[in-house]
Amino acid sequence: MIKVDQVSKSFNSTRVLNDISFEINRGDFVAIMGPSGSGKSTLLYSISGMDSISGGRVMFDGINISAMEENELSGFRLTKMGFVFQNAQMLKNLTVLDNIKLPGLVAKKELADTISNRALELMRRMEIEGIEERDIREVSGGQLQRASICRAMINNPDILFLDEPTGALNSGATDQVLAILEDLNRDGMTIMTVTHDQRVAAKARTVIYIIDGEIAASMELSSDSDREKELDLWLKKLQ
Amino acid sequence: MKLLLNLVRKDFNRNRVITTALAVFLILSALLMAGGLRVAGTMKSSLDGLNELAVPPDYLQMHKGTYDQKVFDDFVETHDYIADSLIVEMLNINNANIIYQGETLEKSLMDNGFIVQNEGFDFLLNMDNEIAIVQEGEIGVPVYYTEVLGIQIGDVITLRISGYSKTLTVSTIIRDAQMNAALASSKRFLISQADHDELSGQMGEWEYSFQFLLKDDTATAVLQKDYLEASLPSNGVAITGSLITMLNGLSYGLTAFIIIAISFLLILIAFLCLSYIIRATLAEENHSIGEMKAIGFPGKAIEQIYQIKYVILVFIAVIIGYLAAIPFGNFFSSSVIRYCGPGSSEWMKWVFPLFGLILLSLLVVFGCRKIIRRNLKSTVVELMRGEERIKKEGHYALPSAGLKHRNLTIAIGELKCKWKEYTVIFLVFVFSSFLILLPMNMKNTVEHPSFITYMGVAECDIRIDMQYSESLAEQKDAVIAYLENDSEIDKYAIYRNGYVQFHHGDGEYEYIRVESGDASAFPLQYLEGSAPDDNQDMALSYLYASELGKKIGDSLTVNYQGAEHLYTLSGIYQDVTYGGKTAKAAIDFDESDVEAYIIYLNVSDGVTVEEKTDDLRGILTESKITPISEFVSQTLGGITDNMSLVEGAAIAISLFLIVLITVMILQLITAREHSAIAIKKAIGFSTRDIRLQFGIRIIIIQFLAIAVGTLLANYLGEAIFGLMLSSMGASKITMLVEPLRAYLFWPTVQLIVVFATVFIGTRVVKSYHIRDQIIE
Repeated sequence: MIKVDQVSKSFNSTRVLNDISFEINRGDFVAIMGPSGSGKSTLLYSISGMDSISGGRVMFDGINISAMEENELSGFRLTKMGFVFQNAQMLKNLTVLDNIKLPGLVAKKELADTISNRALELMRRMEIEGIEERDIREVSGGQLQRASICRAMINNPDILFLDEPTGALNSGATDQVLAILEDLNRDGMTIMTVTHDQRVAAKARTVIYIIDGEIAASMELSSDSDREKELDLWLKKLQ
Repeated sequence: MKLLLNLVRKDFNRNRVITTALAVFLILSALLMAGGLRVAGTMKSSLDGLNELAVPPDYLQMHKGTYDQKVFDDFVETHDYIADSLIVEMLNINNANIIYQGETLEKSLMDNGFIVQNEGFDFLLNMDNEIAIVQEGEIGVPVYYTEVLGIQIGDVITLRISGYSKTLTVSTIIRDAQMNAALASSKRFLISQADHDELSGQMGEWEYSFQFLLKDDTATAVLQKDYLEASLPSNGVAITGSLITMLNGLSYGLTAFIIIAISFLLILIAFLCLSYIIRATLAEENHSIGEMKAIGFPGKAIEQIYQIKYVILVFIAVIIGYLAAIPFGNFFSSSVIRYCGPGSSEWMKWVFPLFGLILLSLLVVFGCRKIIRRNLKSTVVELMRGEERIKKEGHYALPSAGLKHRNLTIAIGELKCKWKEYTVIFLVFVFSSFLILLPMNMKNTVEHPSFITYMGVAECDIRIDMQYSESLAEQKDAVIAYLENDSEIDKYAIYRNGYVQFHHGDGEYEYIRVESGDASAFPLQYLEGSAPDDNQDMALSYLYASELGKKIGDSLTVNYQGAEHLYTLSGIYQDVTYGGKTAKAAIDFDESDVEAYIIYLNVSDGVTVEEKTDDLRGILTESKITPISEFVSQTLGGITDNMSLVEGAAIAISLFLIVLITVMILQLITAREHSAIAIKKAIGFSTRDIRLQFGIRIIIIQFLAIAVGTLLANYLGEAIFGLMLSSMGASKITMLVEPLRAYLFWPTVQLIVVFATVFIGTRVVKSYHIRDQIIE
């Protein structure tokens, strides 16, 4: 589905990503790991078209999205991609439910009622029903992060991008979010996440480890063994 | 101090656009404040200086015909409140007999009189403000003609009448404290006694001016009453010192008043922007302030850090404003200096602006301190969490039917939540719109044909004055007989003017000039009520009604020929003639009591006023024929020229202001909303969408502001204009608006300017990278 082809990114004269290439297939769950400053978030934003790249290209279902105009790309992001950030970023002047519905209403692919019902269904699935009409400052971090996932899912995107989705959550909330991601992936959703958290990465099928803007290693996690232990051993070997 | 300056420098580098815009606001405010006060200072100094040296009379009575010198001398002797008196002999020469550069002065509507230099008071001054002296064969020409006809020293003026010609060389230009202003309908030329004697034997008509200087605190009304009761010569107009002041004030002061009014508005705008910027930048600095407080920085030191920048800005603005106000003020003062000289108190033009700027500085500095102190009151935790800011915004609901116009819906929704942030830009837009419309409406009002009704003249094509003649009744009959048979005259009406005694509540009474005639034929603009309808009604001028404390429906007792007559006050109108105290009623004056006949007429369709005026002048040689539109342009031309300059400046300043404030607000708002912009981009809004949303918010605000500004300009502007005029003698006025320009053209220009600014100003949104902002 996504082909990352020799992507590089520089800020002024500093090269942050260096000729990175890999592929993401439909239904994959890819986790990007690496030490701080290694370029993993930059890679996520570059692949998703939220940031420009200095070299290479990103193909999405055969379309070169790195060559797209800004306006074209925004339409692509609206319908094909969903985003979840570390600190649940939501518009302060909308209620939780309206924040979730907004991308659906903007896309205008479906009737407003259908979007509303889907938003409520997603909230039920994420176990955050009851906070629909609340101001975003009146709900907990965990609830807000799950609401962010609902928003990312509202247009049935082809892929979900997550940047440290549990970075600002406590242990209980982290478990809830992880369960949801696992559930979504099981239903066929393609997921790419950047994380420091081994528990998050352990839910992925593929883990890519980045050091100094280059892919240092990658691994496929087996489906039935103790994935966290397997990942831990692999990371220790890398260090 | 070095550390503080270092911080200011860094702050400037970080907020270059906002700081520059703020500096421009302050400089403009300071410039206009200082400029307006410089013009006011110059005007006061000039008028005071001229009055001091020329010593105009406190009261004068014009008279045509014979008089008894002894009766006059006895009157002066028996009234000890008279400080000095004078009889000025003025030789009125018909404009057709005065020739300059081969052309007569017939086109001029001024009455021209020739006098010799007075002794004691009422001096005609030269351009050095010294008492002018002319030798035989020389003439001193009023400064008005240097401007209107371009007469210069060395030019020749010829006075010619059948078979006689006298050539006089212009040796001096005259400043006349009494008749300088274009609004004064007569002008005085200065000639030598020998030429005066020679000319009077050949041409012209004598008119005498009985002039009085009064001792301190004596009201001119006292003299006027005694004068009329003593049956002294009064075959002519009576003029008070206050009327002269009013004419001068109206001629030279209106521009200064408008500039000062604009400067007050600008100061208000600058202060609003300043307080908004301080609050906005301090909100961004809350975390740092919290940290400083946490490590024990004294509040005063923190206050100093954040205040120093504004103190420096104000200091720079005040210096630049003061210096720039010198050429600016001089430009707008050139007219008053030409007519009145620099004056005896030139320090005023330096000190007035200084006081104004000190006041401005104090206002800004103390205003800043108040805002900063209020911010510092928050606790460390509140500051570091930015709680205060979070508390303020609410949320809006998306329509359940979907987003048909997504950018419009979101822009309106966000505006609903963030309206407080837009208060400043709203007010600035209101004031800008007001600033464009106020001088425009004022100029339009002054230029409008009906403005002349505020000077006591009905709106008509031509006015015929017959007054102060020995054979007034015959003259009137001849004029009527002619008008009756002239098919080129559409309609006319004749008005008789005479004096009656008005009873004051305290048993006192005074003589008031009353006009009698068909008030509905050429109606005046009535401020309240209407023109007298029958024999029981009477209308009063605003000033006189105010002085008597009378309202519509009140009764008035009037004495005429020893009998008391009771009237009901039917209407109040504006009038600046005869000291602003006149009345209108159907009083059956005896022919012998009529002081003047005034005829207003309109010409028939297809007849030009100019041609008809020439015809009438050729036929009715005894009467004064005045085409009203020409009268307006000759008397108010100077004022409207100056007002056009002010109007142009106000438009340029306003448009500049709205560009500045829009750029500034966009900078602050886009910076403040960077996270929302990032989220919108991330969920699929394009840069164009986001720019449109900002644009819609600002255009909505501007649209509302233009509506409010227009209403304010119409209602508050009218009050301001009335206030300005009241200080000059007139008291109430209806603003006359040109709807196409005021309601369509300029609002559209403002909207286009803001739209273009938003288009350029929001380009910054394109350069915002989602990644940078999310990670921040």
